[in-house]
Amino acid sequence: MKNTGIKLLENGRRLDGRSPKDMRSIKIIPNPIKNAGGSAYMEWGKNKVVAAVYGPSEALPRHTANPDKAVIKCRYMMAPFSSEEGHGRVGMNRRAIEISKVTAEVFENVVILDQFPGTEINIYVEVLQSDGGTRAAGITCAAVAMALSGIPMKDLPYAISVGKVGEDIILDLDKIEDNYSDADMPVAILPRTDSVALLQMDGTMSKTQFDTAMQMVLDAGKIISKLQKDALMSQYTEQGKKYG
Amino acid sequence: MKRIVVPGEMVDDKPLHLLDAFIEENKTYATVISVYDDEKKMLTPLEGLWYPRKEEVVVGVIEEAKLNTYTVQLNAPYKGIIISKYTESAMNTGDMIEASVKELDKTGTVVLSRPRVLNGGKLLKIRPAKVHRLIGKSNTMLNQISQGTGTTMKVGMNGVVWIRGGDIDLASEAVFRVQEEAHVSGLTERINKMVGSPVQVQK
Amino acid sequence: MRTLTKEYMMERISKGIRNEKRKPMDYRNIKLEVGLIPNAEGSAQATIGNTKVLAGIKIDLSEPMTDTPEDGNLTTSAELLPMASENYDIGPPTPEGVEFARVVDRGIRHGNVLDTSKLFIEEGKVWSIFMDLYVLNYDGNIFDAGTLALMAALATSKIPKYEDGKVVRENMKRLETSNIVTSCTFAKVIDSLLVDPDGAEEELMKARLTITNGKELIYAMQKGLGGVFMQKEIDSLIDAAFDKSKELRNIVQKSTGD
Repeated sequence: MKNTGIKLLENGRRLDGRSPKDMRSIKIIPNPIKNAGGSAYMEWGKNKVVAAVYGPSEALPRHTANPDKAVIKCRYMMAPFSSEEGHGRVGMNRRAIEISKVTAEVFENVVILDQFPGTEINIYVEVLQSDGGTRAAGITCAAVAMALSGIPMKDLPYAISVGKVGEDIILDLDKIEDNYSDADMPVAILPRTDSVALLQMDGTMSKTQFDTAMQMVLDAGKIISKLQKDALMSQYTEQGKKYG
Repeated sequence: MKRIVVPGEMVDDKPLHLLDAFIEENKTYATVISVYDDEKKMLTPLEGLWYPRKEEVVVGVIEEAKLNTYTVQLNAPYKGIIISKYTESAMNTGDMIEASVKELDKTGTVVLSRPRVLNGGKLLKIRPAKVHRLIGKSNTMLNQISQGTGTTMKVGMNGVVWIRGGDIDLASEAVFRVQEEAHVSGLTERINKMVGSPVQVQK
Repeated sequence: MRTLTKEYMMERISKGIRNEKRKPMDYRNIKLEVGLIPNAEGSAQATIGNTKVLAGIKIDLSEPMTDTPEDGNLTTSAELLPMASENYDIGPPTPEGVEFARVVDRGIRHGNVLDTSKLFIEEGKVWSIFMDLYVLNYDGNIFDAGTLALMAALATSKIPKYEDGKVVRENMKRLETSNIVTSCTFAKVIDSLLVDPDGAEEELMKARLTITNGKELIYAMQKGLGGVFMQKEIDSLIDAAFDKSKELRNIVQKSTGD
């Protein structure tokens, strides 16, 4: 472990009491943003994220259009009041630009783009409160928003991060773990085929550790996929319950 | 058995040619949130966008009057165009119109024909996947709402509804209620209760 | 896409009909929730009809302005988020966004909600209060929603401590507020005056007037758009603002638990 004096893992327990394989609790609420084609609000541990999807609509400015298929544009941004520390710098920084790009790329793999030539699909992810793993939360939340918008997709992506403390692999790093762990690896998965649509890593990891980490991601994915589906279905089943 | 499926979820382990689904390795998967009835092999989308089909009626708003064409906003991925020489009278920007789909051209523009200006009233945008429910079997739902509220209504397959006259607010409420409860049985009775039955039978 | 015709609006307004059977001086349903963002020193979300504005407060150590060396700083910014409306774009703040932030800021500032002299720490060190307004969904009248959200966020905000040259964000005290202000926004649609215009009404309004006030005094006003008001109209709107603000102040008090 990095020599920080902070013990992230002691007797198999993490600072917040989780075991290495535990993820934080997740809550998803469908369609909070009425003007959007589809939207979702998500609480993932202390993270609070809202995602909304607009389109497809005519790609503007015109030079961004692709005559053969739709283009996906994403903007991920953190609110200046979202962190436990001071006031955040306003606007799109380099980190936000990169996360926006890799998020858009996840959806390029699943949205049936050639049905909408010349158009754009906009994904907006706003992080209202952050506690580590916001890009994973954003992607997972945006997938629900995309499905609710009715844009056809071949899969429902989810994302989660894994990391390493000493020689132990831990799932779903929170902010403090993110800051002090020996490796951090956010992953997005297309669950129908278990293919990897986003992979970033910084730190040190052996191949065996990577394989362990991936297995942890796929196991957690079953739970996340179920939560996404439950959120989507709640949109229809609650109305159903109301009238028997 | 009916069940809700989400994008990427297997609908059937055999290859079935269904709208809103795709086949991979001889299995069928959903592309939008839908209800699948595995006895009837029927996939009914709960969400979805509008795909223009020939002869379909749409409702939209004139966006721009150009030299030879009008462009039309359709609340859809595509814009509509109307070729001016096929229109009987001039139309203005902002005019609400009803028209039918002539064709979808290569650039993704919907060519419209037989435009008719809809005077006054207002438009409602609804989810295109709910349009069929709003119209109902041989127009029953639509007639019920429009007669019960004394309004004139036009429903575009693109998910735009035009309403004028009568109790517009009640009619709008009923339209949105159909949208929200489209998949819940007993809807006709609930709408009936809301707007009143169009034909009062004396006992 | 424009969804209403002028003819339709004329007929409605002349009969005094609004959506959801509202009267000209009725607000839509208002919901005010505080403390949604525990990481922020203060936060509140105001929902008026389908309009949703979130306010977040962060308080940081900073240097005072040179002309007010013994006062803390207040900074208000607003994001008209692209997710809130298809008419809001990505990019630098638009004139509409800047006007929104400034109008809300003026009401809070001149309403003496905060005593900036109490934000003084020591020579060269004061607290800066960063107030951010996030428009999450647009359906008209972001001004009143913004002021409500910010007012409730401030009234429930905490303030960090300054100890041994460091900012400490644990066991924070309540930020002291000394007044409650609210704003009432009116739209002139055709020739009628309507409080709390929704998105459709704003599409057709010729002029807009926002009045921010407390129990007895007006603290800020802003007339917007190309149309005009007669003084007589403004007089009646001031009366209306004082009347409606009773309801709004109650909502603030209820949400903050005072």
